[in-house]
Amino acid sequence: MIQNLLSMNGYGLFVWASFSITIFSCAFVFYKTKKTLKKYEREFAKEINELSTEKKELVLGNSKIASQVLSSYSKTI
Amino acid sequence: MFNLLSSSNIFYWIGKLISFINSIFFILLLIALSFALIFSPPDYLQGDSVRIMYVHVPSAWIGLASFTCIALLSITNFIFKIKNLTLVTKSIAPLGLMFTCLAIVTGSLWGQPTWGTWWAWDARLTSMIILALFYLGFIFSHKFILQEEKANKISSIIVIIGLINIPIIKYSVDWWNTLHQPASIKLTGTSTIHSSMLIPLLLMFFVMLMYCALIFLMKYKTEIIRIKKKNLKRL
Repeated sequence: MIQNLLSMNGYGLFVWASFSITIFSCAFVFYKTKKTLKKYEREFAKEINELSTEKKELVLGNSKIASQVLSSYSKTI
Repeated sequence: MFNLLSSSNIFYWIGKLISFINSIFFILLLIALSFALIFSPPDYLQGDSVRIMYVHVPSAWIGLASFTCIALLSITNFIFKIKNLTLVTKSIAPLGLMFTCLAIVTGSLWGQPTWGTWWAWDARLTSMIILALFYLGFIFSHKFILQEEKANKISSIIVIIGLINIPIIKYSVDWWNTLHQPASIKLTGTSTIHSSMLIPLLLMFFVMLMYCALIFLMKYKTEIIRIKKKNLKRL
């Protein structure tokens, strides 16, 4: 059965190549997108943490996004 | 209502949606792949090579739909100048390009056992290559033109011109004699595909749409953080 699944009656090379290329491309784009998102979140959280207490309070008070990023970042570390 | 559409609320819901899609995606992918590779029957003429359809057709649909979406949003942005729409189009474009390229590559892999050639300069294949070039034009205009206003204008013009190519791709198999077969699935009229193949095809399409939503949301979230980061520097 596995032999049949792999060979696909002689079309295995074409079928498996198509599925593999699609899955690997999707996985690569997912990995890169996630990495970029994490990088931006990390940098953003770092920049907020580097602000003076006064400015930090101002930013966190005015921007819910900043506080969300900061809390999710502190959960990951 | 306006509170619901505020960027912080959108940001919150994007996070929730990403977690939700992440939690169900792999199960759905396994189901769709099992149907596509194991449970669906081989074609009476093309044999098992027909299974390539389950990645080729959804990729092509997504490539076309993404470009149409980008073009319509660009036209809206051109008229109403809504900044959020630029973020949306910038997040969709790389996905559209990837799926257009996948449609071309998997089509080539399907062409070899079916037509006996990897490539032919026929109307459908050539118009898909042109679509990929329009995607590249859109992405590069945002990457290499530093003035945001100018980049938006040029990229909008590129996609609006590129929109002409969409009906050409769709009807190329009807207007010209091509190696590519005519559409088997029709929105209006009866489809010529059996349900035993249609169900795996729609399942794979749904899974790919979920993947697109996931990548789009992650890219959109990145763009929002990038803007917030820029604003932080102004303090």
